[in-house]
Amino acid sequence: MTPPSGPKRPFGLGTFVLMMVGVAVVGAVAGVAGSIVGDQPGPLGLALTLAFMAVAMAVAFAACIWWWRGIDEAAREAHKWAWWWGGSSGMAAGAILILTLALRDDGSPSGDVGSSAADLFAGGMLAILLFQLAGYGVAWAAWWLKHR
Amino acid sequence: MNNRLKVLRAERDWSQADLAHALGVSRQTVNALETGRYDPSLPLAFKIARVFGQPIESIFTED
Repeated sequence: MTPPSGPKRPFGLGTFVLMMVGVAVVGAVAGVAGSIVGDQPGPLGLALTLAFMAVAMAVAFAACIWWWRGIDEAAREAHKWAWWWGGSSGMAAGAILILTLALRDDGSPSGDVGSSAADLFAGGMLAILLFQLAGYGVAWAAWWLKHR
Repeated sequence: MNNRLKVLRAERDWSQADLAHALGVSRQTVNALETGRYDPSLPLAFKIARVFGQPIESIFTED
Protein backbone atom coordinates (compact mmCIF):
# COMPACT_ATOMS: atom_id res chain seq x y z
CA MET A 1 0.00 0.00 0.00
CA THR A 2 1.35 3.40 -0.91
CA PRO A 3 1.10 6.16 1.69
CA PRO A 4 -0.79 9.30 0.77
CA SER A 5 1.24 12.04 -0.79
CA GLY A 6 2.21 14.49 1.89
CA PRO A 7 3.50 18.03 2.13
CA LYS A 8 6.85 18.93 0.61
CA ARG A 9 9.95 17.25 1.95
CA PRO A 10 11.73 19.15 4.75
CA PHE A 11 15.18 20.62 4.14
CA GLY A 12 18.11 18.36 4.86
CA LEU A 13 21.80 18.83 5.54
CA GLY A 14 22.52 19.77 1.91
CA THR A 15 20.23 22.78 2.08
CA PHE A 16 21.80 23.83 5.38
CA VAL A 17 25.32 23.67 3.89
CA LEU A 18 24.14 25.56 0.81
CA MET A 19 22.59 28.28 2.95
CA MET A 20 25.70 28.59 5.14
CA VAL A 21 27.97 28.88 2.08
CA GLY A 22 25.66 31.50 0.55
CA VAL A 23 25.57 33.53 3.75
CA ALA A 24 29.37 33.24 4.11
CA VAL A 25 29.83 34.56 0.57
CA VAL A 26 27.49 37.48 1.24
CA GLY A 27 29.32 38.17 4.51
CA ALA A 28 32.72 38.04 2.81
CA VAL A 29 31.63 40.40 0.03
CA ALA A 30 30.12 42.81 2.55
CA GLY A 31 33.21 42.59 4.75
CA VAL A 32 35.62 43.33 1.90
CA ALA A 33 33.42 46.10 0.52
CA GLY A 34 32.91 47.56 3.99
CA SER A 35 36.63 47.58 4.70
CA ILE A 36 37.37 49.33 1.39
CA VAL A 37 34.73 52.04 1.64
CA GLY A 38 35.03 52.23 5.42
CA ASP A 39 38.52 53.70 5.04
CA GLN A 40 37.02 56.98 3.92
CA PRO A 41 37.36 59.64 6.59
CA GLY A 42 34.45 61.15 8.47
CA PRO A 43 30.91 59.99 8.93
CA LEU A 44 30.58 58.77 5.32
CA GLY A 45 32.95 55.85 5.90
CA LEU A 46 31.17 54.97 9.13
CA ALA A 47 27.77 55.14 7.45
CA LEU A 48 28.90 52.98 4.52
CA THR A 49 30.42 50.36 6.83
CA LEU A 50 27.22 50.32 8.85
CA ALA A 51 25.14 50.00 5.68
CA PHE A 52 27.18 47.08 4.33
CA MET A 53 27.01 45.23 7.65
CA ALA A 54 23.27 45.89 7.99
CA VAL A 55 22.55 44.61 4.48
CA ALA A 56 24.69 41.50 5.04
CA MET A 57 22.92 40.78 8.34
CA ALA A 58 19.51 41.31 6.74
CA VAL A 59 20.37 38.84 3.97
CA ALA A 60 21.61 36.33 6.56
CA PHE A 61 18.41 36.70 8.59
CA ALA A 62 16.24 36.32 5.49
CA ALA A 63 18.13 33.14 4.58
CA CYS A 64 17.71 31.86 8.14
CA ILE A 65 13.96 32.49 8.11
CA TRP A 66 13.60 30.72 4.75
CA TRP A 67 15.58 27.74 6.04
CA TRP A 68 13.77 27.66 9.43
CA ARG A 69 10.41 27.44 7.68
CA GLY A 70 11.67 24.53 5.59
CA ILE A 71 12.89 22.20 8.34
CA ASP A 72 10.61 19.90 10.31
CA GLU A 73 9.53 20.31 13.92
CA ALA A 74 12.04 17.87 15.43
CA ALA A 75 14.89 19.69 13.70
CA ARG A 76 13.54 22.98 15.06
CA GLU A 77 13.27 21.52 18.53
CA ALA A 78 16.88 20.34 18.34
CA HIS A 79 18.03 23.83 17.39
CA LYS A 80 15.94 25.55 20.07
CA TRP A 81 17.22 23.17 22.74
CA ALA A 82 20.80 23.52 21.51
CA TRP A 83 20.61 27.31 21.40
CA TRP A 84 19.30 27.59 24.94
CA TRP A 85 21.33 24.92 26.73
CA GLY A 86 24.39 24.70 24.50
CA GLY A 87 24.64 28.42 23.79
CA SER A 88 24.12 29.34 27.44
CA SER A 89 26.62 26.75 28.67
CA GLY A 90 29.16 27.78 26.05
CA MET A 91 28.74 31.44 26.97
CA ALA A 92 29.15 30.65 30.67
CA ALA A 93 32.28 28.58 30.05
CA GLY A 94 33.70 31.28 27.78
CA ALA A 95 32.91 34.02 30.27
CA ILE A 96 34.67 32.15 33.07
CA LEU A 97 37.74 31.52 30.93
CA ILE A 98 37.98 34.96 29.35
CA LEU A 99 37.22 36.92 32.51
CA THR A 100 39.66 34.84 34.52
CA LEU A 101 42.40 35.52 31.99
CA ALA A 102 41.47 39.15 31.40
CA LEU A 103 41.22 40.13 35.06
CA ARG A 104 44.56 38.70 36.12
CA ASP A 105 46.81 41.22 37.84
CA ASP A 106 49.93 40.45 35.85
CA GLY A 107 49.32 43.10 33.21
CA SER A 108 47.04 43.68 30.28
CA PRO A 109 47.65 41.57 27.20
CA SER A 110 47.10 44.58 24.94
CA GLY A 111 50.68 45.72 25.23
CA ASP A 112 51.99 42.26 24.39
CA VAL A 113 49.91 41.68 21.28
CA GLY A 114 49.84 45.27 20.05
CA SER A 115 46.06 45.36 19.90
CA SER A 116 43.98 48.47 20.27
CA ALA A 117 41.09 48.73 22.70
CA ALA A 118 38.69 48.39 19.76
CA ASP A 119 40.44 45.19 18.60
CA LEU A 120 40.23 43.70 22.07
CA PHE A 121 36.58 44.69 22.41
CA ALA A 122 35.69 43.07 19.09
CA GLY A 123 37.87 40.06 19.89
CA GLY A 124 36.10 39.56 23.22
CA MET A 125 32.71 39.72 21.58
CA LEU A 126 33.70 37.25 18.87
CA ALA A 127 35.31 34.95 21.45
CA ILE A 128 32.05 34.74 23.39
CA LEU A 129 30.19 34.08 20.13
CA LEU A 130 32.61 31.26 19.29
CA PHE A 131 32.11 29.71 22.73
CA GLN A 132 28.35 29.93 22.24
CA LEU A 133 28.58 28.30 18.82
CA ALA A 134 30.82 25.55 20.17
CA GLY A 135 28.33 24.81 22.95
CA TYR A 136 25.49 24.99 20.45
CA GLY A 137 27.16 22.45 18.16
CA VAL A 138 27.84 20.01 20.98
CA ALA A 139 24.28 20.33 22.35
CA TRP A 140 22.75 19.92 18.88
CA ALA A 141 24.71 16.72 18.28
CA ALA A 142 23.80 15.48 21.77
CA TRP A 143 20.08 16.10 21.12
CA TRP A 144 20.12 14.03 17.93
CA LEU A 145 22.19 11.27 19.53
CA LYS A 146 19.66 11.11 22.36
CA HIS A 147 16.61 11.20 20.07
CA ARG A 148 17.76 9.05 17.17
CA MET B 1 4.23 8.91 25.83
CA ASN B 2 3.76 5.59 24.02
CA ASN B 3 2.62 5.22 20.44
CA ARG B 4 1.70 2.57 17.88
CA LEU B 5 3.38 4.20 14.94
CA LYS B 6 5.69 1.31 14.18
CA VAL B 7 2.85 -1.22 14.25
CA LEU B 8 0.57 0.92 12.11
CA ARG B 9 3.36 1.54 9.63
CA ALA B 10 4.22 -2.16 9.46
CA GLU B 11 0.57 -3.08 8.88
CA ARG B 12 0.62 -0.90 5.79
CA ASP B 13 4.05 -2.11 4.70
CA TRP B 14 5.39 1.42 4.65
CA SER B 15 9.01 2.29 5.21
CA GLN B 16 10.02 5.08 7.57
CA ALA B 17 10.84 7.14 4.49
CA ASP B 18 7.31 6.54 3.12
CA LEU B 19 5.75 7.73 6.35
CA ALA B 20 8.13 10.66 6.56
CA HIS B 21 7.11 11.67 3.04
CA ALA B 22 3.42 11.43 3.91
CA LEU B 23 3.90 13.56 7.02
CA GLY B 24 6.32 16.06 5.50
CA VAL B 25 9.02 15.37 8.08
CA SER B 26 12.46 13.78 7.92
CA ARG B 27 13.05 10.04 8.31
CA GLN B 28 15.06 10.82 11.45
CA THR B 29 11.99 12.46 12.95
CA VAL B 30 9.86 9.38 12.20
CA ASN B 31 12.50 7.21 13.84
CA ALA B 32 12.60 9.46 16.91
CA LEU B 33 8.78 9.31 17.10
CA GLU B 34 8.65 5.53 16.77
CA THR B 35 11.24 4.93 19.45
CA GLY B 36 9.32 7.23 21.80
CA ARG B 37 12.27 9.60 22.11
CA TYR B 38 10.38 12.53 20.68
CA ASP B 39 6.77 13.52 21.30
CA PRO B 40 5.11 15.24 18.34
CA SER B 41 3.43 18.61 18.47
CA LEU B 42 -0.36 18.66 18.37
CA PRO B 43 -0.46 19.63 14.66
CA LEU B 44 1.87 16.74 13.78
CA ALA B 45 -0.15 14.34 15.95
CA PHE B 46 -3.29 15.34 14.04
CA LYS B 47 -1.46 14.84 10.77
CA ILE B 48 -0.36 11.37 11.87
CA ALA B 49 -3.93 10.51 12.84
CA ARG B 50 -5.16 11.70 9.45
CA VAL B 51 -2.54 9.69 7.54
CA PHE B 52 -3.47 6.50 9.41
CA GLY B 53 -7.20 7.28 9.47
CA GLN B 54 -7.45 6.76 13.21
CA PRO B 55 -8.17 8.99 16.20
CA ILE B 56 -5.17 10.40 18.05
CA GLU B 57 -5.99 8.56 21.26
CA SER B 58 -5.81 5.21 19.50
CA ILE B 59 -2.28 5.99 18.30
CA PHE B 60 -0.82 7.79 21.31
CA THR B 61 -1.26 6.74 24.91
CA GLU B 62 0.10 8.07 28.18
CA ASP B 63 2.90 6.21 29.97
